[in-house]
Amino acid sequence: MVDPVSDPRPLAAVLVSAIAVVLIVASYRHPNVREGWSVLAALTKFGIVLSMLPGVLEGTVYEWSLAESTGLEFVAGIDFTLRADPLGMLFALLASFLWIFTSFYAAGYMRGLDEHAQTRFFAAFAASLSTAVGIAFAGNLLTIFVFYELLSLVTYPLVAHNEDDEARIAGRKYLTYTFFGGGVFLLAGTVLVYWLTGLVGEPTLEFEAGGMGALAEAAAVDPGIAQAAFFLLIAGFGVKAAVMPLHSWLADAMVAPTPVSGLLHAVAVVKSGAFGVARVILDVYGVETIQALPLQVPLVGEVGLNVPIAILAAFTLLAASIIALRKDHLKRRLAYSTTAQLSYIVLGLSLLNPLTIFGALFHIPAHAFGKLTLFFCAGAVHVETHTDYVSEMAGIGKRMPLVMSAFAIGAAGMAGMPLVAGFVSKFYMLTGAMQASYWPFALALIVSGVLNVAYLWPVVYTAFFESEDRHDAKPLLEFPPGGKRESYGVLEGVATDGGAPQPAGGGDDETEADESATDDEPTDEDYEYAVDQYPSDHTRGTDVHDDDDHTHDDGDDHHGHEDHHHGGAPPGGWERRSPFFGESTWLMLLPISVIATGAVVLGIVPDYAVFFEVADTVVESVTGEGVIQR
Amino acid sequence: MSEEIGSVLPILLVAAPILAATLPLIFGLRLERTGWSVALVTCAGTFLASLSLATTVFGDATHVLVIHELGGFARPVGIELVADEFSTLIVLLVTGVSLAVLAYTRVGGPRGNTFYSGYLLLVGGLLGLSLTGDVFNMFVFLEIVGLGTYALVASGDGPESAVAALKYLIVGTVGASLYLLGVGFLFMATGTLNMLDLQTQVEAAGYDNTLVVAGFAFIFVGFAIKVAQWPLHGWQPDAYQHAPDGVTPLVAALVSTVSAYALGRVLFTVFTVDFVTATPYASEIIVAVGATSVVAGSVLAVIQYDVKRMLAYSSVSQFGLIVAAYGIATETAFVGAVIHLLGHGLLKAGLFLAVGVVALGYGARTVGEYAGLAHERPYVAGGMAVLLIALVGIPPSVGFIGKWYIALGAVQAEAWVVSAVIFLSTMLTLAYVARLLERMYFTPAHPLSDPHDTAHDHAPAAATDGGTDAANGGTTGRVTVAMLAVVVCIAVLAVLLGFAGGLFFELLEPFTAEVFN
Amino acid sequence: MIGLEILASHYAYALMFVLLGVGLYMMIANENLVKKVIGVNLFQTAIFLFFVSVAYVEVDGEPGDSPVVPAEVAPGELFVASPLPHVIVLTAIVVGVALTAVALALIVRIYSEYGTLREDTLREVRADE
Repeated sequence: MVDPVSDPRPLAAVLVSAIAVVLIVASYRHPNVREGWSVLAALTKFGIVLSMLPGVLEGTVYEWSLAESTGLEFVAGIDFTLRADPLGMLFALLASFLWIFTSFYAAGYMRGLDEHAQTRFFAAFAASLSTAVGIAFAGNLLTIFVFYELLSLVTYPLVAHNEDDEARIAGRKYLTYTFFGGGVFLLAGTVLVYWLTGLVGEPTLEFEAGGMGALAEAAAVDPGIAQAAFFLLIAGFGVKAAVMPLHSWLADAMVAPTPVSGLLHAVAVVKSGAFGVARVILDVYGVETIQALPLQVPLVGEVGLNVPIAILAAFTLLAASIIALRKDHLKRRLAYSTTAQLSYIVLGLSLLNPLTIFGALFHIPAHAFGKLTLFFCAGAVHVETHTDYVSEMAGIGKRMPLVMSAFAIGAAGMAGMPLVAGFVSKFYMLTGAMQASYWPFALALIVSGVLNVAYLWPVVYTAFFESEDRHDAKPLLEFPPGGKRESYGVLEGVATDGGAPQPAGGGDDETEADESATDDEPTDEDYEYAVDQYPSDHTRGTDVHDDDDHTHDDGDDHHGHEDHHHGGAPPGGWERRSPFFGESTWLMLLPISVIATGAVVLGIVPDYAVFFEVADTVVESVTGEGVIQR
Repeated sequence: MSEEIGSVLPILLVAAPILAATLPLIFGLRLERTGWSVALVTCAGTFLASLSLATTVFGDATHVLVIHELGGFARPVGIELVADEFSTLIVLLVTGVSLAVLAYTRVGGPRGNTFYSGYLLLVGGLLGLSLTGDVFNMFVFLEIVGLGTYALVASGDGPESAVAALKYLIVGTVGASLYLLGVGFLFMATGTLNMLDLQTQVEAAGYDNTLVVAGFAFIFVGFAIKVAQWPLHGWQPDAYQHAPDGVTPLVAALVSTVSAYALGRVLFTVFTVDFVTATPYASEIIVAVGATSVVAGSVLAVIQYDVKRMLAYSSVSQFGLIVAAYGIATETAFVGAVIHLLGHGLLKAGLFLAVGVVALGYGARTVGEYAGLAHERPYVAGGMAVLLIALVGIPPSVGFIGKWYIALGAVQAEAWVVSAVIFLSTMLTLAYVARLLERMYFTPAHPLSDPHDTAHDHAPAAATDGGTDAANGGTTGRVTVAMLAVVVCIAVLAVLLGFAGGLFFELLEPFTAEVFN
Repeated sequence: MIGLEILASHYAYALMFVLLGVGLYMMIANENLVKKVIGVNLFQTAIFLFFVSVAYVEVDGEPGDSPVVPAEVAPGELFVASPLPHVIVLTAIVVGVALTAVALALIVRIYSEYGTLREDTLREVRADE
C-alpha cells in the first residue's frame, strides 16, 4: 500500500462546482453568464481531475484530509478525507468529462423548452456534480456517506423540477428510496463496520485497496454481523444502482427534464450507486474477506456471500429488460434499460473474478457514454417534436437524421455490439464468468444481450425504416400480454399489397391510442381524411407546407382531446432535415455527436481511451495483477 | 482527576438576569420602551460571561469544576453552583440563543417592559437550572423556568395563549412536583441534597434500595413531563403553537432542552451509570420511552397542518432520541445526546425564528400556505430549508453528528431494536420535513396556474424578503434585516458545527471519562 | 397484622398518597378551571406534608440523619427533627404561591375573554371560532 501524498486537488475538484453553485445563483439575472459559470466550472473540474491522472496511473494516491489541514476531526476517530485513487479517478474522470457536454446540452434543452426556474436547475446540477466527485474521491465510508446523502438531496430539486403533481410524486418517491438507502441502510452498515473493526483494534472506516485489514480480522470474530453489514452496505448503494426490488424510483424519475435523466442515468446518480458497490466489494470487504464469509443456507449448504447479490443482479438484468420491451414511453424504456445495465456492473463485481471485475468497471464508462447518447437523443426529439412515445416515432429519422443515427450507435452499445463501447465490457464479463464457471450467470448475460436488441432495435427500426402513415403494429406494446390469437396483419388491414388501409384500423398507432382514450369520439372521419391524404407510403418532398396549412384545424382538434399525444408526426408527415446541424441547435447536437463518438472510440480502440487503463490499474491494485498486458 | 476552581462567574450568570428582570419594571414607571435595551445588555453580558466561563472550563484537559458556594457554606450543607464541561455547553447555548432571539422581538414583538422582565427571568432560571449543583435548588429553578415560560406563553395577543399557558402550568407543575417527590425519597435514603455528595451517598445506600429506586422513578416521570415525552407531551404543542412568535423560539430551543439537560445531570451525576445498569429494567424503560417518543412524535408531526405545531411534535420526537441515548448509557451515546441537545436547540431556535419571519412577512402559518415561499422569500426559505435538512440529520450538519454518536453508541451497546429505531428516525423526520420543503419549493403559490407561465425565473421584485406585499393576504409586518441575518447565521452555524464532531467529543471527554470511568 | 402496624407507623405516607390522588383526580376530572388549580395546590400540599414527615424519620431506632444536628446524641435522649425539610417546604410553599398567583391571573384572563370557567364550555366556544 502506497502512502498517500497530501494534495489539495481532490478537494479543489469537489469545491469547484460548489463555488459554481454560488456564482450561478448570484448571476440569476443573466442567463448567459450563468451558463458560462456552469461550463467554466465543468472545464476547470475536468482539468483538475485530469491533472491528477498521470500520477494516479503511476501509483500515486493524492489525499486531502480535514484533520491534517484544519485540525478538526469530523467525528471522533474518523477523519474527513478525499483521496484520488485509481477507482475514484475512474468515476471522477467520467463524471467530470460528461458534465462538460451535459452542461451545453442542458443549456440548449432548457432554453429550447423555455423552462421555469432555470437558476435552481443549473445550481442543483452543479451541486450534484460536486457531490458526485466527492463520492468518487471519498477516502472512507463516512465521507462517502456524507456525499451520498448530499447527492440525494441536491438531485431532488431536479427530479421534482416540473412542480406538477407527477413531478412531486416522483420527487417523494425518489427521496424515500434514496434516503432509505443512504440514511438507513448505508448509515447502519457504516456504523456496524466501525463497531466491528473496533472489536479487534482501533476502529476505522478507511478504504484499503483489496479490503480493509481490520475488517477481515473482525469478520473472523463475528461473521454474522459482518455479513449483515455487508448486505446493508450493498443495499444502501444498491438503491441508487436501481437493483431490483429497489428500482422503481428510477422509472418514475423520468418526469424530470431530459438532462436530468442524463445526469441520473449516465453521469452521476446511478453510477454513484454502482461505484459504491464497487467500493464495498473491492475496498471495504475485499474479495478474500467475502470468500471467507460463506452463508449457511438451509437445503443448499454453503453459499458464497456474493451469490445472493449476483442472483439478484442477474434477475434484475433479465426482468428489467423484459419490462422495457413493453414500455412505449421512450424515456421510460431507457430507464428500465438502465436498471438492466447497472445490474451488469453489480453482477460483474459480485462474481469476484478479476476479469468480471474489470469488465464491470469498464462498463461504468461504457454504459455512461451509451446511455447519455440515448437520453440526449430522446431529449432532442422531445424538444424539437414533442414526441415521447416510440409508437409515434415512425419515420422520425427523416426529421432528425443525426440524432437518430447517434441513437442507433448508443443502442448498439447497450446491446453489446462489437465496435461500440458496450461490447468490450460485456466481453470481459462473459469471459470472466465462464472462466469462473458461473454458467448460469454467463447465460443470463447472453440472454440479456438478446433482450437489449429486442427493446432498442425497434426504436431505430421505426425511425428509419418505417414511415408515419405506414408501419407495422407493435405487438409487444399494443397487444395484451401473450399476444392475440388472430393474425393481426389481416385484422388491422395493413395490406401487404400496398393498397389503401381500411378506415377503422387505419394502420395508424394514433388511432389505436385514440380509441382507447376516447371511445365515444367518432374518429373515423378524421382518419379517413388523413388517410386519404397519404395514399402511398413514400415520402413527399416539397408539398409539405401546403398540407400543413390544409390540415391545421384538424390537427388542433386532434391534439385537444389527447393529453399525452403532443407528439407524433405533424399532420403533413415529418419534414426532411439535413443531418448537418439542421435539425436542432448546436447546443444539443454537439454534445450528442461528441458522446456518441466517444462511445465508438471506447469500442474500437479501448486501449487508447484512458478508462481502460484506469480500470486495469484498479484491478491490479485489488487483485495483485492486471487483466491486460501492457 | 478533577480540579475545582472557585469563581464568582456562576452566581453572576444566574443572578444578573434575575436582578435585571426588575429593571424594565422600574424603568417602566417613567420610560416607555426600555425593556429591549435592558434585555440586550443583560443577554450580551451573560453571553460574554459564559464565554469567559468556557475558557476556564475547557482551558484544561482535565475535568474542571468551576464552583461557587452560595453564602460560603461548604459542601454538603451549602448550595453550590457548578460549571463543568456538560453544563458549560448548555450555558453557552442558553446565552447565545437568548441573545439571538432578541433580534426578532425588537420589531416582531411581543413588546412591553413586562415581557422583557419575564424574558430575563426565564433566562436567569434556565442558567440557574444549568448551573445548580443541588437537587432541591434544581426544583426551585425548574419552577422559576416554569413561571417565566407560563408568563411568556400567555403574553400572546389572543386568549388562546392564556388557555395554552394554563394547560402548560397545570401539567408542568405536576411534573416539577413529581420531581420534588423523587427528591424527597432520595433525601429520605441519604439525608443530603448536594449532587456530588448524593453520588457517594446513593452508592452507599445501595442501588437496590427501595427509596433510591422510587426516587429515581418519580424524578424520571417528572422530567418526562418537562421534556415532553410521549405520552406526557400533551401540553407542548399547544404551548408552542399559541405562544407569540417571538417567544416560541426561546421556549422551544431552551426550556425542554435545559430540562433534558437536568435529566441527564441527575441521571449521570447523582444516580451514575452504575445505577442505570445495575437496576433491572431502568435502562430498558428509559430507552423504551425515548424510542416510543421518536416514533409517536414523528407520526403526529406528519399529520399536522400548522407549521409551529408540526415542529412542536418534531421536538417530542427529537427529545425521544436524546432520552433513548441517555438510556443506552454508553460514553458515545451520551456525547451524542449532548450534541443533539445543543444541535436541536440551535435548529429549533432557527426554525421557529424563521416561522416567525414567515408569519410576519408572508402571512403564512399552515403547511399549505407555505406554497411558493421559496420564490417569494428566497432568503428565509433557504435558511429554513438548511435547518430542516439539518434536522433530518443529513451531513454535514450538527444534526448528523449527534445522530451518528447516538447510533454508534446504540450499536456498541448491542441494543439492536433501538439502533433500528434510530436509523429509521431519519425516514420519520424526513416524512414531515419533505412535506414542508415540497410545499416551499415545488408548489406554486397559485396552484391553478401553470408554473411555466407564471413562475418566471426569479422575478426581480421578489428577490428581497423585506418586501411588504403579501401574496396570501394575511397579516404582515416589517421583517428586518437583523431577523433574516439571525436565521441565516444559525443555518450557517448548524452546517459548520457539522464538522466539529471530533471537537465536541474532545471537549466532553474529561466529563465522560469521569462519568463512564 | 404487619400490614396494620405499617399503616399505624406510616399513616402519614398513606395520607400523603391519598391526598396526592385526590389532587390529581381533581386536576384531570374536574371541568372547572379554578378547581383544577385547587387540585394542583392539593397535590403540592401532599408533597409538603411528605417532606415534613420525612424530617421525623427514624432509621433503626436512630433519629433521622440530619446534616445540621449531629446524629451522635445519646439514644432516646434527644429527638431532633431535621430542619432541612422544613426549609425546603418553606421554599416550596413560596414557589407554590407564585404558581397559584400566575394560574389565577391566567384564569381571570380566560374568563374575561370567553366568559366561562368550565373547560367543556371553553372547548365548545373555541371549536365555534
